[in-house]
Amino acid sequence: MRKYSIIFIFIAFVCHFVTGQNKQLLYDFSEIPQSLLINPGTETDFQWYSGVPILSGISLQAGSSGISVNDLFANDGIDFNDKVRDRLINGMSPKDDLSGTYQIELINIGYRGAETDNFYSFGIYNEGDAIGYWFKDYAKLGFEGNADNLNNRFNLSHLKTRGEILNVFHFGVTKEIDNKLTFGVRGKLYSGIIDFTSTKNKGYFVTTEGQNNLLSNTLSADLELKSSGIITLDHVIDGDSSAGDMIKRGFFGGDLGLGVDLGFTYHLNEQTLITGSLLDLGFLYHSTDVLSYTLKGNATVEGVEIILPDAINDPNTDFWQDLVDDVEGLVPFEENRKSYITFRPTKLYGSLRYNFGETVQSKGRLDCDCNLSGGKSNRTKYANGVGGQLYVINRPRGPQAALSAFYQRRFGNIMAVKTTYTIDKYSFSNVGLGLNLQAGPINMYFMADNLLAYRNIAASNYASFQLGINIISWGKN
Amino acid sequence: MKKLGVFLSLITLMLCVVSCMEDQDFDQYKDLSVVPVFESSILYLESTEDVINNVPPGPFYSQDFSFNAFSEAFFSDRVLDGVITYEIENTTSKPLSLTLEFLNDADEVLDSEPFTIDPAPSGTLQRDVVYGDTGKSLDIIRNTSRIRVVAVNEGDSTSTSNVSPPLVKFKSSGKFSLRIK
Repeated sequence: MRKYSIIFIFIAFVCHFVTGQNKQLLYDFSEIPQSLLINPGTETDFQWYSGVPILSGISLQAGSSGISVNDLFANDGIDFNDKVRDRLINGMSPKDDLSGTYQIELINIGYRGAETDNFYSFGIYNEGDAIGYWFKDYAKLGFEGNADNLNNRFNLSHLKTRGEILNVFHFGVTKEIDNKLTFGVRGKLYSGIIDFTSTKNKGYFVTTEGQNNLLSNTLSADLELKSSGIITLDHVIDGDSSAGDMIKRGFFGGDLGLGVDLGFTYHLNEQTLITGSLLDLGFLYHSTDVLSYTLKGNATVEGVEIILPDAINDPNTDFWQDLVDDVEGLVPFEENRKSYITFRPTKLYGSLRYNFGETVQSKGRLDCDCNLSGGKSNRTKYANGVGGQLYVINRPRGPQAALSAFYQRRFGNIMAVKTTYTIDKYSFSNVGLGLNLQAGPINMYFMADNLLAYRNIAASNYASFQLGINIISWGKN
Repeated sequence: MKKLGVFLSLITLMLCVVSCMEDQDFDQYKDLSVVPVFESSILYLESTEDVINNVPPGPFYSQDFSFNAFSEAFFSDRVLDGVITYEIENTTSKPLSLTLEFLNDADEVLDSEPFTIDPAPSGTLQRDVVYGDTGKSLDIIRNTSRIRVVAVNEGDSTSTSNVSPPLVKFKSSGKFSLRIK
């Protein structure tokens, strides 16, 4: 029982703290190599770079669109049960979610090809991503029961969750097509470690006045929970398997999938550009260590029924067992090991940017104070950039969007800062700040979101940070 | 690595300086009380007048059967109080009596609930039996694993009712509070 509790807590943790993260601060921050992972069509001027293994890209994001820690646990003298009932059970809607994501780069290397218009980057990163929507009617049934909810249908579709942990092996090419357009593509090989998904549930539970007896309970269910990797995790927790077995799953010993990222940067004129990227357009085929459960069918129960004279003719009838068998036959709870496919949470970024102010001398191959009329790469870097960004991620209840306004300032080639104001379903007051420092070949960056919420972090509905260290070379320059 | 240490220290320091948190009391979780109330039908018994008239006056039906809803650990460990509602309609021409007995695993009678029902047209009875602090012992419910039903014809076996169809219907439902947390 304890191990299942641990598994449940683990899944709950993943659900709570690890959504595809909106990296609005990192997006189009071309001084940072990791911006290529968000838009493979980002313009860079590096000759080569290498991320410091495990430290080159660490990011974490957590969001709750409905309730914050402070809403429940503030020491405000309000009865805790009232807070749970009013703010959680009745206050949140089935569209509210708890979600999160993390990403840790294991390897990230990039280099310019012999044909200098091409930049290649490759690496491995580990990613966890999960979302759980508020299962309102399940919670209401559990908190209140069905007694004072006659004729009230408890909607079983409120159970909607998915999550995964996987390693991603990637190789990307960024190519300057001409002086206006840079296009990038990144191929991805996914190696799934753990996955769970329960997103297409339907049905209801309702108590009504009975046809024969006083009450009638009806269950109409079409529920399914699919998972892979949970059995291995279970064995690791039990000590029957080593942690290495989980790690193996991340290196092609588990589920496999394919994906692709696409991106571009296009200059409308010398100072105005648009960018866009489509990330994780791909799927995973879960065929190993699969364990899935289904509950499908319809049943209406009015208690044990004894109808005479039928019951007299069969005096050995076990009414209770017959009732249990009938329900189990009508709404069977079944387990299966069938393979399944999940699609990755595809993300879309887009931006419009206007550069202005003094020019900044580039350290790299773009070391040229020329304008668009020049040849490839002859592009001026400006100290200031301002614009807007769009982010959309595909989620089980449909696309989820965020809109950001940003301002970026470069201080020579040593430091660059970017600040964003973002609105999304989690917050209307999300101000973020990103800092990039370049000390010789060493590049360090740190970014954090929703800074205003730090006045009372417990009341925050959203928190996110990214940091990393890289070694960058601009070649002979 | 020294630069890295300084960088991370500065970031940590900055966040520590700028971040605050109102006083939180996570011990409030201990005060959480989750006591849902569930209700469901328990037993429905129906008999036609023909069945009653087919045997001499006296018992016309007696049956023991297993009933594990109450003794399931999820229920019996959590039940706080409850009420069982009975409703009987008699549209037959004869007075009837019906007894419901709650039995444990050893077939010992834990409690008995007798009913006497008048013949049609006034043969309707409703009764609520409370269990818990203000009623009968909850142990009756917790330990019930079988139910015995005995139905007796207290009249004759020849008369017929003017009501169509002549039936006796025994209905019951339970409404119980459970301590989940």
